[in-house]
Amino acid sequence: MTATAPNSFRRAAGRHTVQEDPMTVRDAAAALPRLEVTALSKTYGSGGSAKCVIEDLTFTVNTGEVVCIVGPSGVGKTTLLKCLAGLQPVTSGAAAIDGRKIDGPPAEMALVFQDYNRSLMPWLTVRKNIRLPLRHLRLQAAELNQRIDTALEAVGLTHAANQYPWQLSGGMQQRVAIARALAYRPEILIMDEPFASVDAQTRFELEDLCLKIRDDFGMTILVVTHDIDEAVYLSDRVVVLGAKPARVLDVVDIDLPAPRDQISSRALKEFADQRTNVLSMIRKPA
Amino acid sequence: MKTQIKPAAVGALGIAGALLLWQYLATGPMNGSALPAPGHAIAELAALLATGTFWADLADTILIALGGLAISAVAGIAAGLLIGSFAPVRYATMAVLEFLKPIPPIVVLPLVVLVLGPTAQMSWVLVVIGCALPIVMQTVAGVHDTDPVARDTARSYGMGHAEILLRVTLPGAMPFIGTAMRVAAPAALVVAVVAGLLGGGPGLGQSIYQAQAAGDFPVLYALVLVLGLLGLVFQGATRLAERRLLHWHESYREVVL
Amino acid sequence: MKRKALNWSLGVATPVLLVAAWWAASANSMNTFFPPLSAIMVRFRELWLFDHFGSDILLSLRNLLLGYAVATVAGVVIGFVTALVPVARWALDPVIHFLRGIPPVALVPIFISLIGFGIEMRVASIALAALFPTLIATVDGIRSVDTTLKDVSSVYRLSRGEKLAQVYLPAAGPQIASGMQVSLQVAFIVMIASEMLGSSEGIGAMTLLAQQSFMIPDMWAGILLLGVIGFGANLVFELLKNRILAWHAGSRRLANS
Repeated sequence: MTATAPNSFRRAAGRHTVQEDPMTVRDAAAALPRLEVTALSKTYGSGGSAKCVIEDLTFTVNTGEVVCIVGPSGVGKTTLLKCLAGLQPVTSGAAAIDGRKIDGPPAEMALVFQDYNRSLMPWLTVRKNIRLPLRHLRLQAAELNQRIDTALEAVGLTHAANQYPWQLSGGMQQRVAIARALAYRPEILIMDEPFASVDAQTRFELEDLCLKIRDDFGMTILVVTHDIDEAVYLSDRVVVLGAKPARVLDVVDIDLPAPRDQISSRALKEFADQRTNVLSMIRKPA
Repeated sequence: MKTQIKPAAVGALGIAGALLLWQYLATGPMNGSALPAPGHAIAELAALLATGTFWADLADTILIALGGLAISAVAGIAAGLLIGSFAPVRYATMAVLEFLKPIPPIVVLPLVVLVLGPTAQMSWVLVVIGCALPIVMQTVAGVHDTDPVARDTARSYGMGHAEILLRVTLPGAMPFIGTAMRVAAPAALVVAVVAGLLGGGPGLGQSIYQAQAAGDFPVLYALVLVLGLLGLVFQGATRLAERRLLHWHESYREVVL
Repeated sequence: MKRKALNWSLGVATPVLLVAAWWAASANSMNTFFPPLSAIMVRFRELWLFDHFGSDILLSLRNLLLGYAVATVAGVVIGFVTALVPVARWALDPVIHFLRGIPPVALVPIFISLIGFGIEMRVASIALAALFPTLIATVDGIRSVDTTLKDVSSVYRLSRGEKLAQVYLPAAGPQIASGMQVSLQVAFIVMIASEMLGSSEGIGAMTLLAQQSFMIPDMWAGILLLGVIGFGANLVFELLKNRILAWHAGSRRLANS
């Protein structure tokens, strides 16, 4: 149980602009909150028709961690992500990166959306989709191309670079969306139910891709999912949300050995225990 | 509540601003030109409303538009069902229809006026020429879109050709026909006005022509105001009718589009 | 396979047969209204190829293109502002909807009264009438841009210019294009109407004058030319649209299959 009390971990903001070696980042990061959510509430409307979606939410994500947020469907997870990405204002409380309050889309963050078929530009080829967010970074042509190639290679789509997104399968489209985020080189990657609408086999592949990204690029990753197995498999920690309005039920540390493996990790007894633990929390009547 | 009132208030301001701009132009830079002051045009409109000829012209225009539209709908849907149901007929006619579709009725106006003279019949014919073709083509598209499984099912239950046409194909094509009607209804009004304006057919189009020819500019503007309102009514009414008649299709159509 | 070939040959044969039938049936026609097609074609060649080509055809087409260009550029620009600036939308919405309710051709007498019968009047009438379909389609297109796409552009911190040019414009592209296609048809109609109402030059004026002076083959030649232009303009537009919006056609085809 590491749900932090508000402000207990707050420290002077020091931005991580230099990408350090991933392993040292993770080792040194144990107590370094990168993303800090403090007493965050979100209410739609006002007066009698006000609807509270998120209430007093507090948790942190440390540098180099993969944290999953699980909770019953319709609990306002997407709203939470939009607040974290600076797309929607919060009603009270705050989300902060390195102690700086988020009040607009932060430069060091990228978001992978749930609807892959609506988050890619259908009029651009895969390559141009990935290039679009990079245009305003004013990179040298060589670096631009190298970033795109690296990202395409990381998701295994080098061969599809000149196709249009709608010519690809759902899993491939989501990989394009991930590649776009990778090429942007964010320090924090947020994903909203990224694998919800792909088939089971693709899903395993994308989960492993997500872990590989963390190791290769040293990213801090926050994933919203409704799949508890997925959350346990991916996470260093799982934030369990309770229903309506969303609040933190518990934060569960997952200490499965690294590297994770779809077959052996899922066969461990700890995996089953943690899964049972999280599931019973969610199923428990309020 | 507040957000509801605000756009309406700003919209009213927008209309007021447009009227003020008109007033400014009419009394300032364009004083002495053919542009009457808005008050003048509106007063003329009020005077028009008191005359019997205005109401007769208005009735003529509406009757020609709606009557032509009704004929176009009946003939167009019947022709569309026929063409759509038989592949050879569809192939035989498509090239001709595709060629004729982008040609507006104003192109044949000289011919129709030549044959029929400046009469109400001429206006009716022009409206039908303008409206029937899009209805035919949308109906064909609708028939083509009908679920073949539904048709096969109907056949397996022993329904005859005519019955299938009426009970399965026609309802299936309704959303397409609805779209065609929504486009055709304002077009019918436009053609009815064009027939009066350029062909001398009865109605408001002819009144506009006379007002312009006589240099009676306040009346001209008053009539154009009336046509603008009439156009709004036609658009609103067709949208309402479509929603009423096809509400059961709304969700279906969203998926299709 | 055989059936398909038969259908296609039907599609090609029917128009040919229709023209041949017209030719044969009218060959010895004594009917003043329906002269022999051969006589019409003779006049067509004499008039348009190339006696009046520069003086009338090019003139009409230049007015059409000029007015249309002004209308579409202004329509897209005003549409963007209206869709993206709430105050502008609230203020302009009622005015725009009123103006677009006016039958486009009824604007011609107004412009005649204001600026006479010159080329300016024709271009201005075409431009104003053709403005509204593009404008309204642009507003609708931009307002229906997917929120996910907007969120994506915000998360990746695209600049305002990038959002407009790289996201909103292409996303609204298909709808803007259909609006521009309607605008083209309206522009064509108003081009003819402006020539018929107040001019002695241009294809529309020539055709109407031929009718009034009972030069029937000349009138038919004019109608044929206008028909070909109407069809041709639409065809050129379709080809350009299919080229520029190939991604849209492709994704639609895939979604439907």
